[in-house]
Amino acid sequence: MKPRPLAFIAIVALVAAACGSSSGTQGPKAVKIGVDLPLSGGELPNGDPTIKGVELAIDQNPVAGYTVTINKQDDAVNGIHNPNQGATNIQTLIGDSSVFAVVGPFNSNVAQAEIPKSNSAGLIQCSPANTNPGLTKGTTGADLRKSNPTKIAYVRVATTDDIQGQAGADIAYTVAGAKSAYVVDDTETYGKGLADVFATEFAKLGGTVVGHDGVGANQQSDFTALLTAAKAKNPAFVYFGGVTATGGGLLRKQMVDVGMGSIPFGGGDGISDGSAATASSFLNVAGPQGDVNSYMTVAAIHDIPNAAKFASDYKAKYGTEPGAYSASGYACAQIYLQALAKVGSDREAVRNYVTTTANVFPTVLGNVSFDANGDTTQHIISYYKYDDATKDWKYFEQKDFTSGVTTTAAP
Amino acid sequence: MDAGILTQQAFNALTIGAMYALIALGYTMVYGIIELINFAHGDVFMVGSFVTLWLLSTFGVQGAINDPPRLTIMLIVMFAFTMTVMGLVGVVIERFAYRPLRNAPRLAPLITAIGVSFILQNIIQVTFSNSPVNVPRVIEPQAGATVQLPQFAVANFQVTASPVTFAYSHIFIIVLAVSLMVALQLFVGRTRLGRAMRSTAIDREAAQLMGVDINTTIALTFFIGSALAGAAGVAWALNYGTTKFDIGFQAGLKSFTAAVLGGIGNTTGAALGGFLIAFIEVFSSQLGYSRWSEAIVFSILILVLVFRPTGLLGQRLAERA
Repeated sequence: MKPRPLAFIAIVALVAAACGSSSGTQGPKAVKIGVDLPLSGGELPNGDPTIKGVELAIDQNPVAGYTVTINKQDDAVNGIHNPNQGATNIQTLIGDSSVFAVVGPFNSNVAQAEIPKSNSAGLIQCSPANTNPGLTKGTTGADLRKSNPTKIAYVRVATTDDIQGQAGADIAYTVAGAKSAYVVDDTETYGKGLADVFATEFAKLGGTVVGHDGVGANQQSDFTALLTAAKAKNPAFVYFGGVTATGGGLLRKQMVDVGMGSIPFGGGDGISDGSAATASSFLNVAGPQGDVNSYMTVAAIHDIPNAAKFASDYKAKYGTEPGAYSASGYACAQIYLQALAKVGSDREAVRNYVTTTANVFPTVLGNVSFDANGDTTQHIISYYKYDDATKDWKYFEQKDFTSGVTTTAAP
Repeated sequence: MDAGILTQQAFNALTIGAMYALIALGYTMVYGIIELINFAHGDVFMVGSFVTLWLLSTFGVQGAINDPPRLTIMLIVMFAFTMTVMGLVGVVIERFAYRPLRNAPRLAPLITAIGVSFILQNIIQVTFSNSPVNVPRVIEPQAGATVQLPQFAVANFQVTASPVTFAYSHIFIIVLAVSLMVALQLFVGRTRLGRAMRSTAIDREAAQLMGVDINTTIALTFFIGSALAGAAGVAWALNYGTTKFDIGFQAGLKSFTAAVLGGIGNTTGAALGGFLIAFIEVFSSQLGYSRWSEAIVFSILILVLVFRPTGLLGQRLAERA
């Protein structure tokens, strides 16, 4: 058979053209920020405003020479955050070579499953919301990063629960004026950790913890027996360590049913998930009588330096107010984009740059740097109370637990 | 010691127990007649709570109804409608998922039961939501009769009594559940159809030879069991004012345990088991050991089964239906 030079040349030309367009020598390099958050079901009100914060950061902070997109992973299974799904997701993100850094996860028990994997792969993770101290500190923290003990691959911009629990105790004792408290937790990593710190700190302030009980996953629809027992002890405050999905809203709703509606109720950021109009949020489940007298803390700064601008930019893009962790998601992405501009998209270079304790990142939350464990050096907690006029949480003050300075909301 | 608190807790336990017992009856009836552990039964209960939700939103009910005649009518409509719908769902499930496998190895219908369970959950997830949904509570949840028990002292031991509140919604659920159980006993024990059910349970072939229509009898068993689960679904919605697509799993597991504890196949045993489990749970909470309640419940189950493998009332086989 006679060779066909023309066809051969055509094929060579095609292959060359294909290579040329995919190597991208002319255009900017395509890189991705991985995002792993609960993005469906009852926890969508947590994940959605957070990923929108990440998107907004990418939009507003272009890095020359790169186009940054998101590789989005959902760790909620049947509407509840799931550690196994988280582990699968982080593996997927590690496998995607264009991902240079990851924002997430949202929940502490998911982080527990993910940290060993990201640590061994050397892919940096920045959590906007994890607050369990054991993820980074002490022997548990060391155990989670044992494959590369010196190479921190997990940082967080949220303050830890040892501070948030302290803030909860401060609300109960100082703001609500309660001298006795009953503590309930959901027996999970986050909930029990937070509740334990609350109990210790409340006692330190001079209050009495009249009881502490926990309810596991199989019982989180009926709290009446627990509350009947609690009521007999006449607590002046009820504190819940847990999230809405593990019973926060129902606990408050049933407090009203058993006649404890007048007793103030407090919780951590696990019950911060939107207004009473948001389906499945704490305020929605607790209902119109349960929401009154409820307090909540968020392990993040509320009065961010440019709060008004951030809120208006967010609203302009999405048409809603930012969520409790939108700014934190934004900050995580900002830190990565600064690293990308400085050291490029190599995973190890980014990881090293972010975790160097001397580096200070100017972010929407203010100046952020990370300590030797990967925890933020910013220790600010925001306090919220239910507001009947807006049917939503209303910020009233924030406290810096490093300096002890309290900033009250402008009237 | 506070007699008021203990009474209050016993009342709480009766309310929860009533719901477990209603669901447990369905497990035990189906097991009694075709020896199938109907894993979809808990989900039938769950769908019942959503049928109630649908009905209430169709009628535009937003919250508690304070007008007694209207409330009575609404409750009758809720129970009649939900129980009928769920009964029919039970019959359909039996017809298509279990009847074709009636003579297959026993693992096959067990697997289809698990399959049906997932199908029901998915249907609810897609048509309603996969997060908790609020259901209006037609009986004002805080309304109830508050009773002051007498205080007394035994020798030097002072028994105090805090006031006890008997919420109307809880009284209603307990009375309803007990009435349904009594009605079931009478139906199984005194009627022709009940006799057909009992004879089918004892020996299917022999019953058939005696002229009992096996298919109709089994379908009827599914109808009654599922209708009772539907009633439990309504009770759940009335009591908690919330539901979720996966409540059937946990409640189903507890009720199945109740059925085994009481002696599977025995309807009185199922009711007894339901109340027993609820009491154990509630009193673990009263002692401040809520986090241990599952372990306590199942330890007692293991002990009972070790010493009485047929369950508490399991030997009175003649009564099973």
